[in-house]
Amino acid sequence: MAEDKYNLKNPAVKRILQEVKEMQANPSDDFMSLPLEENIFEWQFAIRGPGDSEFEGGIYHGRIQLPAEYPFKPPSFMLLTPNGRFETQTKICLSISNHHPEHWQPSWSVRTALVALIAFMPTNPNGALGSLDYKKEERRVLAIKSREAPPKFGTPERQKLIDEIHEYMLSKAPPVPQSGSTDVSGEKPTNEEADVQVTSETAELAAAVEELQNSPTINRIVEEAVPEVQPEVARVAPSSRPTTQTEQGRPETRVHKPADDRLFTWAAIGLTLAIVVLLLKKFMKASAHGSVFMDES
Amino acid sequence: MQNQENLDADGKAESVISIQTSEYDSWGNLGDDDIMLQKSAIFVQEAEKVPFVGDKEPLSSLEAEYKSGSPILLEKIKVLSGQYAAIRRTRGDGNCFFRSFMFSYLEHILESQDKTEVDRIKTNVENCRKTLRSLGYTEFTFEDFFALFLEQLESALQGNESSISHEELVIRSRDQSISDYVVMFFRFVTSGEIQKRSEFFEPFIMGLTNGTVDQFCKTAVEPMGEESDHVHIIALSDALGVPIRVLYLDRSSCDSGGLSVNHHDFVPATTEVASGSAASEIKIPFITLLYRPGHYDILYPK
Repeated sequence: MAEDKYNLKNPAVKRILQEVKEMQANPSDDFMSLPLEENIFEWQFAIRGPGDSEFEGGIYHGRIQLPAEYPFKPPSFMLLTPNGRFETQTKICLSISNHHPEHWQPSWSVRTALVALIAFMPTNPNGALGSLDYKKEERRVLAIKSREAPPKFGTPERQKLIDEIHEYMLSKAPPVPQSGSTDVSGEKPTNEEADVQVTSETAELAAAVEELQNSPTINRIVEEAVPEVQPEVARVAPSSRPTTQTEQGRPETRVHKPADDRLFTWAAIGLTLAIVVLLLKKFMKASAHGSVFMDES
Repeated sequence: MQNQENLDADGKAESVISIQTSEYDSWGNLGDDDIMLQKSAIFVQEAEKVPFVGDKEPLSSLEAEYKSGSPILLEKIKVLSGQYAAIRRTRGDGNCFFRSFMFSYLEHILESQDKTEVDRIKTNVENCRKTLRSLGYTEFTFEDFFALFLEQLESALQGNESSISHEELVIRSRDQSISDYVVMFFRFVTSGEIQKRSEFFEPFIMGLTNGTVDQFCKTAVEPMGEESDHVHIIALSDALGVPIRVLYLDRSSCDSGGLSVNHHDFVPATTEVASGSAASEIKIPFITLLYRPGHYDILYPK
């Protein structure tokens, strides 16, 4: 595709094409970035809000401009999704650290810079240019909102790319914690810290539990069973990792299918029910309360 | 007419005032970034007066430069001109050591057609590549620079399609898209060597910057335009196995009469145990650089 349009003798073009290849060969769950087909010096990206911060679950889009002298000169970054940490459509200075202005170096890449940008989000802006210092709650609201729709920006071609990136990120990013549990995506998040995985699974459970609570008969059972289910999930989670990790090698963007989701949600509910029933049986055998439950059901 | 003059005068007066006020303002408002920008702008302006690699000039041009300068320097230049015929200046953009090394080395290959040397350095380059890989550098971030250097090396050897003339070498050394890439190649090689032998380099670096080896490489070796110190020269010379002679033109003098120009040979540390035969063939540096505080140029022996 792009290879035909560019002078491959141009070292910047050569380098950028290699970065594109590398980016596609080693996709990350934390970010996604691709150049426009019409101009490989113009990229779109999205990053996932870092975990354990008010940005968790947020999907933040932005654009990257690579200079003609790349990789000798640094790329410039601009966010498009309101986030409460950086102004949108304003160049972000990644070397804000006032005491030791870090030099850009050719051994860095778009990937390195995106990783740095993610790490930068929860840091204190210290009044740096282009930075915002919104309250945590405001940022959390923006994080939730960021998932709803990608920003509208630029040509239709660019918009298509933004939308694609958004779909990809939605399939990878677990939802904002403590909210939106109704739109739990059934897909198991890949390549994550075990604790993140656990929280997303407990969110799944919570969703299942909500549905279960609609039937009043097992109301009490659920209430008592839940605390015991959690450690069970924690133990189960790591074992599911090897299978999901094989997906990493796939270069193509995975398209998020709602039908898949529903299937997974039902599967999750089914599993939860089974677990609850099993635990209940155990519980009944082990304690004298059994008779009480028997009476109720 | 008169009006025009008045306007001019006013304009001047105003601009003087505005310069003054802006100077006062700027002290308060200038951020680190602004200062850095300004500094680099001045740097660029100054540097662009000289090409990356200049023409070969007789040593007398150096003498002319110090006509009204220190008598010690003039005396030393006289001593130098006994042994050296010419000088080739490089741009003072912080890359002068690497740039001088680049030109001097490729010129040597072009003139000597020393195939064994080319084969030897290729092996070293391959090892440098391995070093960077093992240090965790992503292949694509350095391979272009390596490829470009090897390309230049290949074309310095005559007899194949890509062979170049001496003129072409000069042109290429002045072409940013080649020259800067080769400089960056040397920076990668230097950085890799320092990190690989960090225990050896650590005391030197501590003395220079008070920082860690890693910080040093990230802030003083890999970024373009960062000046080179002894540490860089030792590392590059060791990594590529190329000896370098540096002559120091400074105002130091010794009491024992008769001024001499200090020089230092950076002889690559051979990793293998030096056997009798290896020890006997001590390499005489074919790269000679002239150091004046803050800058390196190329010297040509008589």
